[in-house]
Amino acid sequence: MPLVTAETVKQVLRDLYGYQITDTDAHSIAHGAGAMLTLAGHLGSIGIAGIEPPFSYAVLVAEATRAAKSKS
Amino acid sequence: MSTPFRELLDFDVATLSTKLRAREISPVELTEAYLGRIEQTDGPLRAYITVTDTLARKAAKKAEAEIAAGKWRGPFHGVPIALKDLVFTKGIRTTGGSKILADFKPAHDATVWTRLNRAGAVLLGKLNLHEFAYGITSSNPHYGIVRNPYALDRIPGGSSGGSAAAIVARSAAATIGTDTGGSIRIPAALCGCVGLKPTWSRVSRYGVLPLAYTLDHVGPITRTVRDAAMMLQVIAGADRNDSTSSRERVPDFSVGLDSEITGMRIGVIRELNDGLSDDVARSFNTALETLRSLGATVDQVTIPSLPMAGIMNGIITWAEALEIHEEWMRTRPQDYGDDVRRILEIGMMTPATSYIRAQRARARTLAESIAVLSNHDVLVAPACAIAAPKIGTTHILEAREDRVDVVAAILRFTQPFNTTGQPAIAIPTSLSPDGLPIAMQIIGRPFGESEIIRVAAAYERARGALAPPPEIA
Repeated sequence: MPLVTAETVKQVLRDLYGYQITDTDAHSIAHGAGAMLTLAGHLGSIGIAGIEPPFSYAVLVAEATRAAKSKS
Repeated sequence: MSTPFRELLDFDVATLSTKLRAREISPVELTEAYLGRIEQTDGPLRAYITVTDTLARKAAKKAEAEIAAGKWRGPFHGVPIALKDLVFTKGIRTTGGSKILADFKPAHDATVWTRLNRAGAVLLGKLNLHEFAYGITSSNPHYGIVRNPYALDRIPGGSSGGSAAAIVARSAAATIGTDTGGSIRIPAALCGCVGLKPTWSRVSRYGVLPLAYTLDHVGPITRTVRDAAMMLQVIAGADRNDSTSSRERVPDFSVGLDSEITGMRIGVIRELNDGLSDDVARSFNTALETLRSLGATVDQVTIPSLPMAGIMNGIITWAEALEIHEEWMRTRPQDYGDDVRRILEIGMMTPATSYIRAQRARARTLAESIAVLSNHDVLVAPACAIAAPKIGTTHILEAREDRVDVVAAILRFTQPFNTTGQPAIAIPTSLSPDGLPIAMQIIGRPFGESEIIRVAAAYERARGALAPPPEIA
């Protein structure tokens, strides 16, 4: 399982979000995140070679058009 | 115009609609009956965050005048409904079930409310939910614990817990919920009503507080399949305010409601047919027998990557939800409930690579599902592994006595179809021996709502009515 340590969790929350948590909470978050990263690592094994992420240029253009209209 | 109070509340939308149009009942009388019912039940139930009684009475009077003048707006004209409190309503507070948005009054309506409003629906109020829709218990730390009408010591499911509880308690005729990992289908299943999650993009998300942009769905929670089809008819379709809303043609969802299902091919998803409580397994197998008795062919199918679809859903939600909440997590972390803050903190550890990989992997599971649906009309699975657990329960014991996390056991059955974006409807199959609702879900091809509605309606007719919940004092 990828190692997410309680210390890493505490540092992220402190440096990026500006608050502190207890060691117990940090261990709990580290455990949850480690499990998630392990499972995420397995996603490559289900046959995703050649599959693009489902982000659409059509939506990008439509959002830009809508944003431009709402600015004007 | 003198139908008894209780009888008014027992009519489904389809019946109400006929009677309202024929002026056999009055929108004003009906709205008063519902407002009275909210007052009677919502102390223990906590289904509502805001009751818009003044606006409801005004809308009911307007509907009454219009119907009397022959200006019929359609089947929701004069029908009292309620919205999950993350659907924007102009000038009416929309909390998202949070302390952070406790005083937020949107400057515009969500498209889903614009369409229902235009159809003449009467808004009773805004419904309680799991904070920011990020959880499945609806035990809201800011607006009270929503309770299951069938057993007040049990959760209604979530996140649209208030939406389902209000339907079953007869404190709204129809409601709107949202579903990112199961939040329409889970509460419908645990409370014993119908929850329809349409195909992703079928219903506009404009003005709906997001949890995860690419997984959020908006849909009806109702008493019957027919009501769900009627409500979907009003809210579905392209919206220029939501660039991701589909331009796919919106069919007449009522077409198959009275059709037989003889000869239809129904696939039972092997990967979602284990880990069930004995009551759920029994109820699901009986439902399959009912589908066979209606002339459908029922056999087992496999979607090999489906067990990974839950983790795809989790990773995507962690990343997208954190992006939405990041500023508040910096400035107001103490204003979140403990469980929601914790899951957002786990999301802080999600690498961008995992997010992208999860997005790519969605297509694999959808490809496998579409392949199965090339020779099946719909798929079926239990909606939840268990009936509603008691409030505060964190783990269940399976037969082999492993401790299983309640949240994981419940989400496992619903999350995959947010990941694939396929339409899915939850429909009650029976009550357990201790009187708790149990449900199955019927899943279709992308934009195949008509097929799941047809099968669900046929099943509902064959199943007959469920015993109502005990009276709420």
